[in-house]
Amino acid sequence: MNKYNPPRMNPSSLRSRFATRFLRSLSKINAKKPTASSSSPTEIFRRYRRIKVAADKSMAYSVRSRRTWSRAMLWKLRTRPCCRRSVKTSTIVRKTRHEKQNKNTTTTTGEDGVVFGVEADELRELVPGGEAMDLYNLLDETAHYIKCLTTQVQVMKKIADFYSP
Amino acid sequence: MAEGLRTAEQQRNSRTFGIEMRTNELNSAAEKVGNCFLSPNWNNSMDQSNPFESSLSSMASSPSASNAETVLPGYGDNVLIRKLIGRLENICDSTYISSQSLIKPSNNTPLNSIPKLNLPLMDSQIIENLNLPFSSDPGFVQRAARFSSFGGLNSSLGSQVKFPDSLDESFVSGKIQDSANARKRKSIHRRKAKETPSMAAAADAKVMLQFSSANYLDFCLSCQILIAPEFQIVAESNAKRSKQDGADEEHNGDGETENDGNRKQNKENSKVAEAPKDYVHVRARRGQATDSHSLAERVRREKISQRMKFLQDLVPGCNKVTGKAVMLDEIINYVQSLQRQVEFLSMKLATVNPGMNMNMEALLSKDMFGSHGSIPHTLCSNDSSAPPFSFGYQHQQGLSVHNAATGNTETRFSLNPLIPTLQKDRGPVDRLINANHQVGSFWEEDDLHSIVQMGLGQNQSQNHQAEGQVTDAMADKGVQELGRFAVEENNKGQQQKVEFSKVVQAAKKVDSGTKYFLRIDGSENGEKKSFNAEILVKPSKEKEMLSFSAAKL
Repeated sequence: MNKYNPPRMNPSSLRSRFATRFLRSLSKINAKKPTASSSSPTEIFRRYRRIKVAADKSMAYSVRSRRTWSRAMLWKLRTRPCCRRSVKTSTIVRKTRHEKQNKNTTTTTGEDGVVFGVEADELRELVPGGEAMDLYNLLDETAHYIKCLTTQVQVMKKIADFYSP
Repeated sequence: MAEGLRTAEQQRNSRTFGIEMRTNELNSAAEKVGNCFLSPNWNNSMDQSNPFESSLSSMASSPSASNAETVLPGYGDNVLIRKLIGRLENICDSTYISSQSLIKPSNNTPLNSIPKLNLPLMDSQIIENLNLPFSSDPGFVQRAARFSSFGGLNSSLGSQVKFPDSLDESFVSGKIQDSANARKRKSIHRRKAKETPSMAAAADAKVMLQFSSANYLDFCLSCQILIAPEFQIVAESNAKRSKQDGADEEHNGDGETENDGNRKQNKENSKVAEAPKDYVHVRARRGQATDSHSLAERVRREKISQRMKFLQDLVPGCNKVTGKAVMLDEIINYVQSLQRQVEFLSMKLATVNPGMNMNMEALLSKDMFGSHGSIPHTLCSNDSSAPPFSFGYQHQQGLSVHNAATGNTETRFSLNPLIPTLQKDRGPVDRLINANHQVGSFWEEDDLHSIVQMGLGQNQSQNHQAEGQVTDAMADKGVQELGRFAVEENNKGQQQKVEFSKVVQAAKKVDSGTKYFLRIDGSENGEKKSFNAEILVKPSKEKEMLSFSAAKL
């Protein structure tokens, strides 16, 4: 009668892998809703953080260890303390980043160094694991990171659009 | 900034390389050329070094005087560089230039006008001048004649002196683009020995005049002749290679090592023809430092420029941006905007929350996702049991109670962390939007509106139940009524009658009217089945069934 056969996307594409994992984690997060306080701002904030972490984690797991940035992100996610102290961790992380900014920016060698000195550092901050890469690899990682971010945004957008008009 | 750097480099190079380094290099080149003479390729005696070294030294001295003239810093740098580099690879292009201008030093006209006939004349002249030790070998003489085009070395090489390290992406891209044209020109020239393009030719002619010394030509020719056989092969394969060069931009091979290897063999001519492989071609120009470090540096820089181009394609709205610094800024802004979008969307998902289970199946039926269609279903089958439903139920109660109170705070809360970031990056976001940045514009307009509406919607829903899970679908008579209606509607169009049993779950969405997602238990042909139904209840209280489907259990 009303059999539903969705047109199949590539099941092993980055998008489907990410969507699978993310939906699974989303349902887990939504399933363990506590009781009445779940609509308070703090609770919502906590859920937001959990969802964000879940998104990052599912994206990193979809890429496995093939990329430096995914490895760095996974490592970061693993070594961060558990949810309760996530706020604290983020402040600590921000502090170290701030300290890095205060350091003298190292310029890459060669004539490009003068051009790339400041921007390369900014890019290194943005891309996880970018601190330890030279410029060429950094650009490489950035390209892949951008691609993954766009798929992440698309999938999340679709989910969000579905749940609210 | 890049342009400023380039001119600075040019000046620096013209000062140093043009005079000192070049001399040094030429002297060192002489030795290396001498070495290549000793290579076993040549059957002739090894006593060839002497005349060439003499010519080399004379050549080394002569161009120094011409540096002042040949420094053309303001000569439309990019154009000149591109043309010259293109012609640098185009060996046979220069056939005419060198030969013709050398014969007629006072000839200032573009070389197009130079008739072809001079060529054989020049050949004989040159050959006499050269006094080649292997003139005994007629084959060499012939090849010398044919490859007197390599005299063009001097033209392009000489002009390269002034712009040795001034390559940057624009130049490289220009080179890659022009090399294709250059190759075409070259292949034509090689076959027909025709004139070279006028513009570059004019520039080169001007440059060439400075170098017009028989000794220089001798040296060049001799170098060319010595490696003539190799050049033959190389030149012929150049046509193919050039296409590959232009086409394949992602060569990250051992361009470095290849360059080094070739360089050691043919010092001068390595500057003209590199290894005929598909690597990132690094050509050390005359006057440039040709040690391994700078070559490696150039390889690296070209790889980086390739990557930048690739990123330019990836980041929308960056087609017009040239220059590394601006491009990097755009990339940084784009990555930042993407990350913020992810944060924002996760916030949205956190607030929107929950008729999660029901909506998963509706999601499935709506064909929102491709392959994920089956995934939420599987998730549902795990989760669509009593406990989650009860949680949802409780949550919904809590939500409805708190909604009135917290609606405002939610809105404010959700907007607060975002507003500062938005305001801070107004500039780049505007730029992104202006550049038709789809994602950015979405970020700017829709999400903000939707967030506001969400908050407002929740405020409005004080009167009736909030969207999402309908509490106590079982007890809600209205919902049961809807379920019955859905079944009846369905039965109208279907042959197999479905018998309504009860509405197990319900979720609703306030849209233009209220949309109900119902999960109905019924029996079809005596078989117990579950169904999903969507019903739209319009403000006029009119019910309309949107979809009715069997839910896979």
